[in-house]
Amino acid sequence: METLIKVVLLACEQACPRPQLWIKPLAEAGLKVRMVQEPCSSKVEVFQLLRLLARSADLVWVVACPEELCRLCEGSIRMERRLAHAQDYLEEIGLERERLGLSLLAAEDEAGRGKVIDTIRAQAQSLGINPGCRQPSAGKE
Amino acid sequence: MIVGTRKPLVEILEMVKPYHRLLLVGCDTCVAESASGGRRETSELAAALEMAFRVAGTDKDIRETCVDRQCIHEFLLAVVEAAAEADAVLSLACGAGVQALAARLPKTPVFPALNTQFIGETAERGLWLENCRGCGNCLLGLTGGICPITRCAKGLLNGPCGGARDGWCEINLAREITPPVTCAWLEIYDRLHSLGQLNRLLEPLPPKDWSQGDAGGPRRVLRPDQRP
Ligand code: SF4
Ligand code: SF4
Repeated sequence: METLIKVVLLACEQACPRPQLWIKPLAEAGLKVRMVQEPCSSKVEVFQLLRLLARSADLVWVVACPEELCRLCEGSIRMERRLAHAQDYLEEIGLERERLGLSLLAAEDEAGRGKVIDTIRAQAQSLGINPGCRQPSAGKE
Repeated sequence: MIVGTRKPLVEILEMVKPYHRLLLVGCDTCVAESASGGRRETSELAAALEMAFRVAGTDKDIRETCVDRQCIHEFLLAVVEAAAEADAVLSLACGAGVQALAARLPKTPVFPALNTQFIGETAERGLWLENCRGCGNCLLGLTGGICPITRCAKGLLNGPCGGARDGWCEINLAREITPPVTCAWLEIYDRLHSLGQLNRLLEPLPPKDWSQGDAGGPRRVLRPDQRP
């Protein structure tokens, strides 16, 4: 059986009010996609990013509002810093930093969404299966 | 509070690699404030170790817990129970917490995940500064609340030295420090000035009695009224 590449999207619900606009094109590209909607990207913690990669994801992508639209003013900026901190951890582990990604996008920016989806698809396919991720047979998620 | 920083992952991996069942124990007070050993950082390290071992070809049983204060034995009872199922414990507390936990677990190896750095303060978000060396004989009352032993690079009791430039300490010339270190003695001067107590500087401080500090072996505080 072919193993599908698993992508988890952590999406600010202001930036991604309609999950299907993301899930459908990525699933059509052959990826296994799960979207977790967050009230704001400022709620996403480093341990959540790492835990997702350890237990259920080959690639984790955070979609947040552009800085000027962030409801918590600094939520997106701080998210970028936390993501970089988590990426430093990946480097220490010997995994690719690119297994964690972030895009800042307004909900109505259709062209921008298309580009981000293309990037996620290309990145997931080039990185492939995450060797740090627990495989289904090794235990429950 | 005690400020800590995480050890490099490679060093932690080396310490715990012989053990299969690992229990990570965080401490939710000082090292949580310094973003190195609290609940969140414990979960980060647990996930990172899980991945690192898997990348190296082994699947470990990694569990995590956190206590309010690892340096106080009463808080450790639940950890002792959880550690019964572990081959080794990795503590994210300061050195005092690691040792208190080790004392409670005579048959289980306990390893430090952090490097304990200093007694300090959260100066700004993400910036911790050392400001006390625990000298055992505090003289802050004489220096306007600014510690020359810790914050003056030379530990001068009667400063400044001749090396201060534009308010900055000479130590900045010796190595790159971010953010740069201010001259503690100029700060003491400014502070005493604003308190209207500059006359304090007219009386040189006498040589310090260092026997109260860490030069005399491990220190003890014994309070008969608090004893069982
Ligand atoms: S004088 Fe001693 S006790 Fe007081 S702050 Fe400085 S090092 Fe700490
Ligand atoms: S410049 Fe000021 S803080 Fe630095 S060593 Fe000299 S007196 Fe101490």
